[in-house]
Amino acid sequence: MANKEKNFVSAVIYVHNAEDRIENFMEAVLSVMETNFEHAELICVNDCSNDGSVQRIKEAAKKAEHVSVTILNMSYFHGLEAAMNAGVDLSIGDFVFEFDNTVLDFAQDTVMDIYQRALQGWDIVSASPDRKEKFTSGLFYRVFGYFTDSSTKMYTESFRVLSRRVINRIYSMNKTVLYRKAVYANCGLKTDRIIYPVRDGSRGRTDVREKKYRAGLAADSLILFTEVGYRFSKAMTALMMVMSIFMTVYSIVVYLSFHPVAGWTTTILFLSVAFFGLFGVLTIIIKYLQLLVDLVFKRKHYSFESIEKLT
Amino acid sequence: MSRQYDKIIIGAGLYGLYAALFSGGRGQKVLVLECDASAFGRATYVNQARIHHGYHYPRSMSTALKSAGYFERFHREFSFCVNKEFEKIYATSGQYSWTDGKQFQEFCAAAGIPCEELHPERFFRSGMCDGAFLTKEYTYDAMILRDYYLEQLAAISSVEIRYGVRIAAIAKDTDDYVIRTEDGDEYRTAFVLNASYAGVNQILALAGYEKFAIKYELCEIILCEADEKLSQYGFTVMDGPFFSIMPFGKTGLHSLTSVTFTPHATSYEELPEFSCQAGSGGYCSRERLGNCNLCPVKPDTAFPYMANLARKYLREEYGFSYRESLFSMKPILMTSEIDDSRPTVIRTFSKKPTLVSVLSGKINTVYDLDEVLCDGE
Repeated sequence: MANKEKNFVSAVIYVHNAEDRIENFMEAVLSVMETNFEHAELICVNDCSNDGSVQRIKEAAKKAEHVSVTILNMSYFHGLEAAMNAGVDLSIGDFVFEFDNTVLDFAQDTVMDIYQRALQGWDIVSASPDRKEKFTSGLFYRVFGYFTDSSTKMYTESFRVLSRRVINRIYSMNKTVLYRKAVYANCGLKTDRIIYPVRDGSRGRTDVREKKYRAGLAADSLILFTEVGYRFSKAMTALMMVMSIFMTVYSIVVYLSFHPVAGWTTTILFLSVAFFGLFGVLTIIIKYLQLLVDLVFKRKHYSFESIEKLT
Repeated sequence: MSRQYDKIIIGAGLYGLYAALFSGGRGQKVLVLECDASAFGRATYVNQARIHHGYHYPRSMSTALKSAGYFERFHREFSFCVNKEFEKIYATSGQYSWTDGKQFQEFCAAAGIPCEELHPERFFRSGMCDGAFLTKEYTYDAMILRDYYLEQLAAISSVEIRYGVRIAAIAKDTDDYVIRTEDGDEYRTAFVLNASYAGVNQILALAGYEKFAIKYELCEIILCEADEKLSQYGFTVMDGPFFSIMPFGKTGLHSLTSVTFTPHATSYEELPEFSCQAGSGGYCSRERLGNCNLCPVKPDTAFPYMANLARKYLREEYGFSYRESLFSMKPILMTSEIDDSRPTVIRTFSKKPTLVSVLSGKINTVYDLDEVLCDGE
């Protein structure tokens, strides 16, 4: 191609036990970078893979001509969010592609489509597959959307491109980024989404560790970025108030019309409901506290083992 | 028919010419053998031209103390080639640094080198650096230094420099070393100083001695034109995969280097083996390194990569643009990977006749040579 893009781009790929697909995936991304950009770098964030992923990455890196390939080895399993933050921190591109998984279900043109869209003035452009969302993901995004006041809706995304401006903004806004999508949605710069047709239906396996991590992340994100906890405790308080009013009225009625002998049953009932609500509120307070502790006191939010420049 | 010298020095870089002037000044008959057509053509010229004061080594106190010790002496004795008309800022990166701002400050205090804390956001983008410090570090101009040495040596009739010399063999003959060149000349001496830096193992191979455990890096130093605001400053971001942009001697240009992009290729062999050598048409080989800067197959510049890295950190007003690239081969001792120390190694391989090799990556530790040069007088 005669006219290559002058912008320097970085591609950050999350790799965790992906030996069966990383090589294909890297080749695809490398070929997009080599054919379309004069200068590019590729950063593979190896989140403590214990299979042959690193070896495959090194094999694939040999095919790079002018693209610089780096592998960032995390010290222990960090999960997608922290590991990708580490990768983006290391990147130096004017535009940075984030590939959250290594399932090659998109056509290579899609990568350039979102880049072209970004050039038109959208600071964050993401690419979503056109297949039906997984039930759990759909539920999560619905709950998230319902309980947050941000106007930006969130969807399942495979990869996205960020401008350096957005990265700088996020650096100065946040010390820690627990859930990138929520931060991106709230950063105040323009975002857009492209839906691409899925090339083949396979979703790729997610290992147990990643599944557990995602469930935990979903709970944390809901607590931190939405009002779920607050609304729950509000509803609980309201319920308890109504019940206590009812109980007051009821006990007065009982007192006036009957002889107050059977009062012990109502007392028990009242106590159990009150305690249920109280415990609910307590759980949420504890969750908040734990998150605050994590955000404020864990100064280094990721720890990397080594950075190897391959080409 | 061979000629006899008191000392033969291999390599006309700073270490070689320093030794020549030192010995020639004591009336000894000295011969300097250089493979290039001029002196100071390689590493002495092609580097960051930093006069180390120790800031660079927050994880190696010994290297820091040694640099600091020689800093004053070097800039006093060679003040004519030293540029100190700029403010040198060291900063510690907020991410990926092995040393943070506070640790850097404590390190400077312990090493006894000046370090005044500044606000990082004066120079760097928000959140990128967790410490910025005004330090005292200068840069030397290799070409002015070369002219000084050549002028001084020209005045001493017992010192001779031969350029374009290709050494074919080094052999021991009773109390002498006999050095034979490809042109058929033969020189005899009781003292050989191997100051050929990246060629150190190649010379040792000729003499049949054990080689240094080193790796080789083909390095690029980029010369840039600095915008007005940047021209008064030198910046070094520590301590990991970062960069330096600082004045390059008195040339009015800035040198730009980065830890990840300055090395273009690495060889872990005892003797330097690089894939580009095959394309050099015999100019450069495993046995005899060419001058990378003059090589027909030198690599493409990594300026876009280094510039993007620097611009990611520096505020927009500290701008710069590309002028040219310099390339050179750099040997790195394998022992210095963990603590990033850069010791000056002087190793004596034989006595009577004497063969000494010196390997140093710093200009101001040249005084370490004094002891070995005086030895046996």
